[in-house]
Amino acid sequence: MAAPVNAQNPSKTWELSLYELHRTPQEAIMDGTEIAVSPRSLHSELMCPICLDMLKNTMTTKECLHRFCSECIVTALRSGNKECPTCRKKLVSKRSLRPDPNFDALISKIYPSRDEYEAHQDRVLERLSRLHNKQALSSSIEEGLKIQALVRPQRVRKPQQESDNTTFSGGEDNCDARSHLSQDSAPPLLHPGPLLNEAVEVGAGPSRSKRARDYSQTRYVKTTANATVDHLSKYLALRIALEERQADGQTEGEAGDDGGGGGGGVSLQNVSEKQYTIYITTSGGQFSTLNGSLTLELVNEKYWKLSKPLELYYAPTKEPLQQ
Amino acid sequence: MASQNMDPAAATSSTALKGSETGGSAARGSVSKRLQQELMTLMMSGDKGISAFPESDNLFKWIGTIDGAQGTVYEGLRYKLSLEFPSGYPYKSPRVKFITPCYHPNVDEHGFICLDILKEKWSALYDVRSILLSIQSLLGEPNNESPMNAGAAELWENQEAYKAHLHTTYKN
Repeated sequence: MAAPVNAQNPSKTWELSLYELHRTPQEAIMDGTEIAVSPRSLHSELMCPICLDMLKNTMTTKECLHRFCSECIVTALRSGNKECPTCRKKLVSKRSLRPDPNFDALISKIYPSRDEYEAHQDRVLERLSRLHNKQALSSSIEEGLKIQALVRPQRVRKPQQESDNTTFSGGEDNCDARSHLSQDSAPPLLHPGPLLNEAVEVGAGPSRSKRARDYSQTRYVKTTANATVDHLSKYLALRIALEERQADGQTEGEAGDDGGGGGGGVSLQNVSEKQYTIYITTSGGQFSTLNGSLTLELVNEKYWKLSKPLELYYAPTKEPLQQ
Repeated sequence: MASQNMDPAAATSSTALKGSETGGSAARGSVSKRLQQELMTLMMSGDKGISAFPESDNLFKWIGTIDGAQGTVYEGLRYKLSLEFPSGYPYKSPRVKFITPCYHPNVDEHGFICLDILKEKWSALYDVRSILLSIQSLLGEPNNESPMNAGAAELWENQEAYKAHLHTTYKN
């Protein structure tokens, strides 16, 4: 469209793209509007790529302008190749580096209290390590179950939404497992990354269940769609083992003291995904066995297809399969 | 063959040892910190086809998994690896080896991997994630110039036969 104009008077016309012709100018920000920058994106800019911590005594490579903590880059040069860890440009010696006090000043402007920042980092990491510590995880599950068990008798078969909701965060996020598991009704959880939240309802099919007693109510478990049927089965076995242990009463005090590791731990170690078989109802009202390696996402796609929480059934596995 | 794998850095790293190991427990603390940071970003990132987690309470030994990339003969196969971090990490590379037997030109029968970034091309900027991604792409693009498994390097030419052999010998 602009071409004929250009042909007549080529030197005086800008060639504008369609986008440039139609876009409206950005309003300049003149008032007190504040633009929020997420701490994480800021952190990645101010972070030393070697220690993954905030830059400390920043050193910049003279040629390629990459930044590191003084200590980190000096150690890296001493222990490895004489090249920039970021881009492999030759760094002959410490003289290829230059202190960058302006950058340090910038950081201290943004984070006036470095100690506070580090304390915060430590807290986050400590929470993380508590989560990846298996013993702590199992003891926190147990604690959560105890609280649930205490609360459960007061509520008899409420409507579905209010039934026993357990948020089970299986280590995918860096939140504190303890707090989730002890919560009785699950708040909406923000899982980072690609996790699909999926509510899975596990109930006992009346026709199949030999041990209907306490478990005949439906329970909801919120978990990642990446979990497999085996994961669910093992989780179920663990819960049942824990509750049976509590029902025994005498072991309860013991288990409470040492937080789950020792005590009646023997029975917990035998917990396996083979103890219970998971079923789903098909359209004909039949129970169909689910293969342990299926992910819940697949189960949902293949068998369920409804836009309400997935409902599954379980029963103790028949003897021949058990071992 | 395996001796090729025995950390060529050992010969050149007498100076490195001074830098990284005199720190003692303080250094160990900073290594833990970095490993925890890595664990956190790895858990948040949710990369498809790779995963890693400390084996037990010991943060210095991880187990990783790699899924063969789509469109390669390794598609559909999953491999387990072990990663051991030295106290000089990240200035020194971790020891990475296959636990699942892996038929590949650059992997020997003990699971040792011949990959430059794990040796002389190591940089402190590499992390668990980039190592696993590199090994994943090594699976589909072997370096047949200097094979540890000469048979595999030869068979690579014939992708059909390679795939058939790979899948019949694959044991998880």
